[in-house]
Amino acid sequence: MTHDPRQTWLAETHARGDIAAWLEAIPYARHLGIEVAERRPRFLYRLAPRPENIGNPLLPALHGGVVGAFMETAGLLELMRVGESPRLPKIVDFAIDYLRSARVVPTLAHCEITREGRRLANVSVTAWQEDEARPVARARLHALLVSPDG
Amino acid sequence: MNRFVGVIPHTRALGLEVTAVSPRLRMRLPWQETLLGDARRGLVHGGVLTLLLDTLCGSAVLRGLPAPEVCPTLDLRVDHFRPGVAGHDLWGEAWVVRLTESVVFTEGLIWQAPERPLARGIGNFARLGARNTPPGFAEALFADSEPTP
Repeated sequence: MTHDPRQTWLAETHARGDIAAWLEAIPYARHLGIEVAERRPRFLYRLAPRPENIGNPLLPALHGGVVGAFMETAGLLELMRVGESPRLPKIVDFAIDYLRSARVVPTLAHCEITREGRRLANVSVTAWQEDEARPVARARLHALLVSPDG
Repeated sequence: MNRFVGVIPHTRALGLEVTAVSPRLRMRLPWQETLLGDARRGLVHGGVLTLLLDTLCGSAVLRGLPAPEVCPTLDLRVDHFRPGVAGHDLWGEAWVVRLTESVVFTEGLIWQAPERPLARGIGNFARLGARNTPPGFAEALFADSEPTP
């Protein structure tokens, strides 16, 4: 057994499902205002409609890159959360389709692990605002699954 | 172009600046703790690269058009070659690969050390045309006065 404090921390937070502790260790996620919105019946992530998250002040609309960063974060957190053993996903690639302009209101994201292999995983993420039937963006990503001491 | 980046609240808050517009649009994002995705290992958040590439490619679109036009991002793809590390500014370039009547195809690259690219981006943008571009759009983007905080 290892005594690496990082691995211990990850194992403990993973066992508790303490996503807030993980978010605390992600400064850019804190900057954007990402949090857990709901745990049941589905696990949902939320992006706060902060004025600093605006990309187009004329509409106004959230920055597309901020929406992308939110969805990427949600997808990676989901991989950490649902895995049987605690591990750190490393992003390999990320693709996002922008479907509607995102207004400056709370944005929710739901993740689906499309494929989970031993080393690589594929996650689909859907983001919406008031109406889930009208998503603002869909994204997918590949991540490498590494043990925390790797 | 610095005015354009200056009117985007998110990138203004991060201090993003345009350092060149020719031959390719180039920007610098100064190092700051906020950019970290993994504070324990000192790695840049992958989403920061998505944000940078979206901004870079979108700005390259505006520069590549004959006249400013509303061009929403259709899609963006980011390939992460290696993680960015703490303590170093992020640099990026973007360019228009092809401009058609309805779509603008762009590419971009991010690095901290020029010989070690961190990420590649491919962004496609829809041209909504002059008819769907509100009057004053160009003036608002490239206003001579500094935007009020």
